[in-house]
Amino acid sequence: MGQIVDVNDLSRSFVGKTALDGVSFHAAAGRVYGLVGANGAGKTTLLKHLLGLLRATTGSVRVFGLDPVRDPVGVLSRIGYLSEERELPEWMRVDELMDYTRAFHPTWDASYARELFESFALDPSKKVKELSKGMRAQAGLIAAVAHRPELLILDEPSSGLDAIVRRDILDAIVRTVADDGRTVIFSSHLLDEVERMSDNVTLMHQGRVTLSGALDDVRRGYQRSRVRFVEQLDQPPLLDTALAMEGGGRTWSVVHSGSLEQFHHSVLALGGEVVESRDATLEEIFLARAGRNRQQMEVA
Amino acid sequence: MKMRSPSAAMLWEVWRVTRVEAAWKLAFGIVGGLAVLALSATFAPAARILLYLPHIVGWLSLAALNGGKPGFPLYLQYTRPVRTAVMVGLPTAYLTAVTFAIYLVSAFLLREASGYPFSVLPAAAWIAALTVVLGTIGSSTRSVVVLMLGWLVTLFAGGGFIGARLDSFPKDVNYPLTDYALIALIGLVCFGVTVANVARQRCGDMQTALPSTPSGGLWGWLINLLRFPCPTSSATRAQVWLDLKSSGLPVLTIGVALAIVFPLVSAVSGRIDAALNADPRVSCPIKECFWARATPPLFAPLSVFAMFFLGGNAFGIRRRQGRAYMRAFEVTHAHGTAQLAALKILVRSVCVLAAIIAIGVSAWISVPLLGDAVFIQMWNVPLSSRLPAINGAIAALTWYEQLSLVVVAAVGVVICVAAVAVFGALRTRYSRRIVPPLLLLYGLVLLWLAVGVRVAPDAASQFHLDVVYGAMCWIAAAAMVFTTVYVCRSGLAEHVLTIHYASGAVAISAAFGAAWLTVLNMAGARLAGTSAMDVVWMLSPALLPLTFSMLAPWSLSRIRHT
Repeated sequence: MGQIVDVNDLSRSFVGKTALDGVSFHAAAGRVYGLVGANGAGKTTLLKHLLGLLRATTGSVRVFGLDPVRDPVGVLSRIGYLSEERELPEWMRVDELMDYTRAFHPTWDASYARELFESFALDPSKKVKELSKGMRAQAGLIAAVAHRPELLILDEPSSGLDAIVRRDILDAIVRTVADDGRTVIFSSHLLDEVERMSDNVTLMHQGRVTLSGALDDVRRGYQRSRVRFVEQLDQPPLLDTALAMEGGGRTWSVVHSGSLEQFHHSVLALGGEVVESRDATLEEIFLARAGRNRQQMEVA
Repeated sequence: MKMRSPSAAMLWEVWRVTRVEAAWKLAFGIVGGLAVLALSATFAPAARILLYLPHIVGWLSLAALNGGKPGFPLYLQYTRPVRTAVMVGLPTAYLTAVTFAIYLVSAFLLREASGYPFSVLPAAAWIAALTVVLGTIGSSTRSVVVLMLGWLVTLFAGGGFIGARLDSFPKDVNYPLTDYALIALIGLVCFGVTVANVARQRCGDMQTALPSTPSGGLWGWLINLLRFPCPTSSATRAQVWLDLKSSGLPVLTIGVALAIVFPLVSAVSGRIDAALNADPRVSCPIKECFWARATPPLFAPLSVFAMFFLGGNAFGIRRRQGRAYMRAFEVTHAHGTAQLAALKILVRSVCVLAAIIAIGVSAWISVPLLGDAVFIQMWNVPLSSRLPAINGAIAALTWYEQLSLVVVAAVGVVICVAAVAVFGALRTRYSRRIVPPLLLLYGLVLLWLAVGVRVAPDAASQFHLDVVYGAMCWIAAAAMVFTTVYVCRSGLAEHVLTIHYASGAVAISAAFGAAWLTVLNMAGARLAGTSAMDVVWMLSPALLPLTFSMLAPWSLSRIRHT
């Protein structure tokens, strides 16, 4: 599989605040990449670098092997993009918006666009300013995908979409793009959505990539275990591979990485036992890596 | 800062938004007034105008929250648990007080420095009242037409009335209390009107509840006036369609509308003036007044400036709630930056040029309809009688000279549009780096002039003015050369500029240079025997097309790829 996106050691600051700190990110053709992170984690900043909307101050960004700032035409002609703000020209009618977008992309698939219009039940004769937030998202999504881009970048695509559209249509669009051998990168803070749609997941926290890999590998690398100790514990037990803990007294729920065997040894050494273990969900991993529990543990 | 109450928070917000504007309004009045007075005490009336000038535009920083559109600018407060009266009253009271204080301080300082009897307290009170009225009009309507009419009436009729009142009572101590009562009444009425209208906007005016868009109101109507389909055959044509529809054609439509109005007004203005002059109730201080006939000569030049103003933001930079940006929708389409900049500027320029030509032709047609008297009264020139001579002079030019005039005028319009777009983009990207050096430069110039005049009031002023003129001349020429070379190198290195584009720019600049030399020759300017400084002064405009054709894509790239 060819590499579509290569971001190496990318850093970016805005007026003293570090938005990206040594981020490396790679995307291959035919896969769906989910970017997860809390607000301000750097997801949109990373996506803007891929589009050339931000200039890399340190590190490098290559999309299709090209620098998106130096060669915007070469890069943007192969990308479909839905922005988080859904900013579209208010004065245009939806069909004019499609015509305008079509002019930039000779690969425009009119029948696919029509199909999507019918799926969304969107009226093409309406003006953009008359559309609701969700309808704007739908119009923006059609404009982004109807030319069958090699790389589809969606910034918080679910924002404004109702649950049915999100689950049935957005998922179908993303899967169609990936099944055609094209690539999708989307940011979201809806972890169930990322878990459902992504092949690969990248977790960002405070401008850094804290976790990245194939979703299945990521899931397999983390477990959630319930442990019981003989004595009551006032403080969370110090376990080697633990990332987050909940509970108190004798019973604790622990999200941990590494091998289960190593964890068992660690618990035994403190006079406890592992009652049960299972693969952690993405949400549990996210909370463990970026959430408050982790910060509390680091402080402790 | 701790904000212990909603009122404190709201006041803080208004202070935060308007503090820079308040500072420049204060500085403008004091520095400008002192500079004018330093040149000569006879310019004191001009200094008085400089004191008024910052206040007749209202509060621009507050209007910018709404993207410059009519409507209550603090609409984000609609969702806060605050009564509408408080929401309106607090900012109004604060801004009135600040306006009052700014004028009071500047006028007092100038009066103390010059001894000229600037009106202090009464003028401050009336200017504060004017600000309240302007604010009321801006907040109470969402119609651009109503806003413009309201402002025009307030500034002309209200300004005239205030001027007459202040001139009638030159000393502060004689000023009648009834005027202060009238000012208070105006304030109360304005407050009531604003509260009523903002309450209406708050409960159900969806346009205000949503962030306003540039496609609403009159502009939106103009955009939809001419409908033609977006071409899908090429990206360039689609981009031209977008720029024509969204900004070019509305400007052209306004220009054509004005061009139609001028001859119509000119045709009936003689009769209106005759009727007004014959009416014994209308007082005219001179033999014959030109109320209606003065309108086209006054508004035609203003219309040209208005076309540049409306057509200026060629890159479509949006300013809202303190944020300046280009819409991601436009910058994420597959266009080269140089091509995008050139298309945007050319489309705007063509529309602005067409609008100016329409206004110019209309003014040309209107001149004979107005007659000579009004032009003699206004400019001491019998323009109507001289039209045949002007036509003859133009006809007497060779084809090459006529072509040169056309080239200089057309490229001049493109340069103006490009300059506004470029400075807008640079201001968006580098505002903190641009403003301080400019302020420092102007400050030094003013200081130099003031010191020179103080040291030797008669002999030194011409010398000091010559030094400023010479320095500006060399600095401007050097800045243009340096900027062109730097931006060209940087643009080519970053692939913002292409060799193809740069070659085209050089060719157009060469054509403009030849035309410029021809025009200089026609004007009787001779380079031989002229000082080096004057040669630089005369020739430096020939470099402008090259400078701006390099700067336009470069500056666009700075906001496209921040």
